[in-house]
Amino acid sequence: MAHNDNDGRLATQQDFELLVSRYYSTLYQFAFSLTRNEADACDLTQQTFYTWARKGHQLRDASKVKTWLFTTLYHEFLEKRRRQVRFPHLELSEVNQDLPNIAPATVNELDSSTVLKSLARLDETFQAPVALFYLEEHSYKEIADILGIPLGTVKSRISRGIAQLHQILTHDPGPQPARTRRHG
Amino acid sequence: MDSRLAKEILLRCRPGTAEASDPEFAEALEQAKRDPELGRWFAQHQAFHKTIRDRFRQLPVPAGLKEDILAGYRPAVIPFWWQQPAFRSLAAAAAIVLLIGVAFFWSQPREDRSFAAFQNRVVRNAQRGYVMDITTTNLGEIREYLATQGAYADYVLPAPLEKLPGDGGAVLRWRNKTVAMVCFDLGNHNDLFLFVASRADLPYAPSTSEPQFTQIGKLTAASWSTGDRTYVLAGPGDEQFVRRYLSP
Repeated sequence: MAHNDNDGRLATQQDFELLVSRYYSTLYQFAFSLTRNEADACDLTQQTFYTWARKGHQLRDASKVKTWLFTTLYHEFLEKRRRQVRFPHLELSEVNQDLPNIAPATVNELDSSTVLKSLARLDETFQAPVALFYLEEHSYKEIADILGIPLGTVKSRISRGIAQLHQILTHDPGPQPARTRRHG
Repeated sequence: MDSRLAKEILLRCRPGTAEASDPEFAEALEQAKRDPELGRWFAQHQAFHKTIRDRFRQLPVPAGLKEDILAGYRPAVIPFWWQQPAFRSLAAAAAIVLLIGVAFFWSQPREDRSFAAFQNRVVRNAQRGYVMDITTTNLGEIREYLATQGAYADYVLPAPLEKLPGDGGAVLRWRNKTVAMVCFDLGNHNDLFLFVASRADLPYAPSTSEPQFTQIGKLTAASWSTGDRTYVLAGPGDEQFVRRYLSP
């Protein structure tokens, strides 16, 4: 019996390691796109896997593991944000000063940090869909499941979010989203 | 599909993914081919998309994050069904019920298999009134009758009893075992009662042929064992009176 127990535990641990190896990077990137803070993103990623370790066995459909992980991370983020106000209170004008003035031709010279800062300037409702969109880990349907919103809404938010991002990064004179402050 | 709608759809087109073959995108792509301006815009947008996508994917992941996750991992041991809280509660409840059952069982008067119980049963039965299966003074007939009923008929009578007239006989039951009863007429409406059982059916029976006396109600009982049989002789009077019928 002990032998079987050990085998079972070993298999579970191996499965877990495999799961971490496969998804921890993209989960962290998604978390960072939401929090823009390394420590918070690490916490969210770790918390997601701990939740999996405790409750993952309840998931019957193995093909939903990835969606489950991202959904859990997003819910953790929302819950954390609801409890805490940790992000700096910044006026849009202050954020603008941090952003480089980028011409369309220089888009390919952007670094990840600048892209993330630009993402942070999007309307909050666009940020998570756009981040998931660019990570290219999920279909639209899966993104809808993760965020808990209808498929049509996901498509609409992605289109509008990309348009905003485009405007921000290329400094097009298009309309900015009505957003004056960022809350944690 | 007009160019404005096509542009909105193409904004969220991810080239190289399965979605690119979606009818919605396919139609927008066709529109981009027909509309040179839309085509140029889409080409620029694809470059934009690729850059942003790459930047997202190049977002550095802190070194050691994976190790931190694994180090903090406590394997979730999925409890076996007998380790589930629900089952444990059920088992605890069952154990309590079992304990109550056992306590109830032990608190109940248990079946008394002692020889004294046997003596009491048969002797008091004789005192309360009984029905003889055969009524005859002939001891031989009584023995024959008992033999036909499967009762022990191979009993050996002490000589004084052999001289008494019979009154009758009956077959009794004790713990589903047969007990033969032979009644002797003492006159004056008094009887002596001899009970014969298998020694094997009475584990606490006297082990010797030396009679042991006891008083049961108004009767004095003498008990002994000889061979495979155990005997109880009950009669009025004291031990001395009964003893007179045991030995010459």
